[in-house]
Amino acid sequence: MSEIDAAVSPTKDFAPQNVQGNILRGYRHGKVRHLMLEVSNRDVARRFLAASADGTQKDVPRITRSADWSRDNPLETCFNIGITFAGLRALGLPAEQLATFPSEYAEGMARRAIKLGDFGQSAPENWPSPFDQPDRIHIVASIYSNDETAFDTVEVQVGRAFTILGTRNGRNLPDDKVFFGYTDSISQPRFKHVFDPDQVGVDEPKDPLGTVLLGYVTHFEGVEFAIPEPKNVFRDSAFNAFRVLQQNTDAFEAYLSKAATELEKNPRQYELLPKGAEANINGGTNRHEALREVVAAQMCGRWRNGTPYELSPNSDVLGDLSKTNYDYKFGSRCPAGSHMRRANPRGGPIVQRVANYSRRLVRRGMSYGPDPETGEHGLLGNFIGANYGAQFEAVMCDWINFGLQDPEITGTNDPLLGANEPETSVFYLTTSTEHRIRLSGFPRFVIARGGAYTMLPSLSAIRYLSGLKG
Amino acid sequence: MSDDGGWLNTYVNSLPERRWFQFLSKYVVVPFWVWRDGKPKLPGGPRPSPQPSDSTQRMMNLLMPLKDPSPIGRAKAVMALAQNVDEVFAGLDNVGTVHSARFLLIEDHICMISVYDGDFSNYIRDFISTIGSVFDALMLVVEGGDKLRPCEKNVEAFIDWVRDHDLFQAPDFPVELFALQDAQIGKKPNDPPHAVESLPRSLILQLHANRNISLGGGYRGYPGYSAAQIRNKLGVGW
Repeated sequence: MSEIDAAVSPTKDFAPQNVQGNILRGYRHGKVRHLMLEVSNRDVARRFLAASADGTQKDVPRITRSADWSRDNPLETCFNIGITFAGLRALGLPAEQLATFPSEYAEGMARRAIKLGDFGQSAPENWPSPFDQPDRIHIVASIYSNDETAFDTVEVQVGRAFTILGTRNGRNLPDDKVFFGYTDSISQPRFKHVFDPDQVGVDEPKDPLGTVLLGYVTHFEGVEFAIPEPKNVFRDSAFNAFRVLQQNTDAFEAYLSKAATELEKNPRQYELLPKGAEANINGGTNRHEALREVVAAQMCGRWRNGTPYELSPNSDVLGDLSKTNYDYKFGSRCPAGSHMRRANPRGGPIVQRVANYSRRLVRRGMSYGPDPETGEHGLLGNFIGANYGAQFEAVMCDWINFGLQDPEITGTNDPLLGANEPETSVFYLTTSTEHRIRLSGFPRFVIARGGAYTMLPSLSAIRYLSGLKG
Repeated sequence: MSDDGGWLNTYVNSLPERRWFQFLSKYVVVPFWVWRDGKPKLPGGPRPSPQPSDSTQRMMNLLMPLKDPSPIGRAKAVMALAQNVDEVFAGLDNVGTVHSARFLLIEDHICMISVYDGDFSNYIRDFISTIGSVFDALMLVVEGGDKLRPCEKNVEAFIDWVRDHDLFQAPDFPVELFALQDAQIGKKPNDPPHAVESLPRSLILQLHANRNISLGGGYRGYPGYSAAQIRNKLGVGW
């Protein structure tokens, strides 16, 4: 009996056998390979999907289910798929059913570019292969393992059924860091009915399953997101924004140095960081380095080691503090413009009073690169939810960029993730007084280099698609 | 049009004012071009923009056709709102991004005219989750509203319906119409570039598809600030 049976309370209808395994909890594997696939032969593709859902055929990887999850005996290799709208069409889903899918998904990520901040350097016109032909990407298949030989084995198996347009390899950096140097993946939605050992003791409100799966109660009172037709088939599916996000770490570190140099000349710098606090940062450092770290911490909302800035504005020592349990208020030390507060304002004050906790997303990512030739490196991210418009896009267009949630930051973008230009970018540092220190002149640090809107179909949906005729 | 003299040029220039030509245009030329190069309806509401100031004070001009435009039907529409006036005001407060909103009965439509900040679908979605019951009452008197009720269970369809009934906002600079028409049929905008003298025809064909439109995005008496920024500066709390 797997752990999940004990972990999932006997909620009516929730069937972990029907949900893909990468949605409700993260795997613990250290590496991933994403394959961007085109359906070149409909029948062969359908047979692969049938076998993959079934999981008994030796030379076809089995789709990993939520029910396969185990803390003590994790699977050596996990395999999951996301299907684009173009992919559904390629597999032969009839037009009257295609019409029941949400319009954001039908348009696809590249056509939603302006709303997502993907313009300028991030514009889809600049995306490299295979993302320069978004309509050809039908499926994004993901292989998770610690053992790289597994990737090649599975890739060969998949390649017999699909045209492989391109691949992206990702890996976890040591200590759960990302290239910007921050510890990542600390705060995630946690779901009613799902046990997640990584989230024990977190005091944020639990999220209903409808936050991420189709067919369940959502965080919006009374609101249910539409399930595409046939509903009994597509229930338990989720929508995913797969993103290839280049991280311009050199520009980021250079900007921190520039900002620290300016701050050292600022007579109010001790309201930002008191004299002597350098001893509690990075295990003890000089004034310049400490100021760099303060800027990095305020931009993110956490010190780079993960200690929440809100709880500890003058020291990065976690001590007895919680990494997850705190809230924002008027006058918080964590700036309203920081990345974390924009992405998840928790219970803090926001303009859209009904929206607290309603735009939660599951984030699963691994780092990629550096590319041996270009040096490009960044994050392969999956941003999963039940509704693009209400979650991923809502966060990207009103909160990450634009900052509508707080009048003090409206018109500015996320300092880390936002669509910034040096001529117009602004970020306000908080101090121990009401005075705020204005930083400006920073470029876009994260550049979109590809991606796709995919549905993570339920097992019943995969079987249904594999049985389409014509 | 030519400024050269000569009887032919003078005559051609006078064509738009001649009754026979107007008749021909209305019943033959325009229908022919609609058949040959018809334009799909362009979606309503403001378009997403990279410019943050474009994301404040956005205009909604929502025309909802009445099921029953008779005085009795109109009275039902009036009552649908009158019975929910408290909820509407509470909802506007809680959504937090509305500068102003008003309802009008014009001809065969009940209209919601509002100015709001940020993304259109977020605005509507927050509204549904706050005052869904008001929209449900409205949808009872609106043509095509039955299949959208209750709005809370049909969020996506309701948002698509509103976008479809919100007026298309013609670009402030008319030549930008070409790019919108190209994008709507999945073509790369202005590739190849359009001849500027074909703009009147493109506009006429667009007005065939979008009968009612907003002329431009609307006028602002002050730069783009959000409702919350204004409340904050006035010290009335946001």
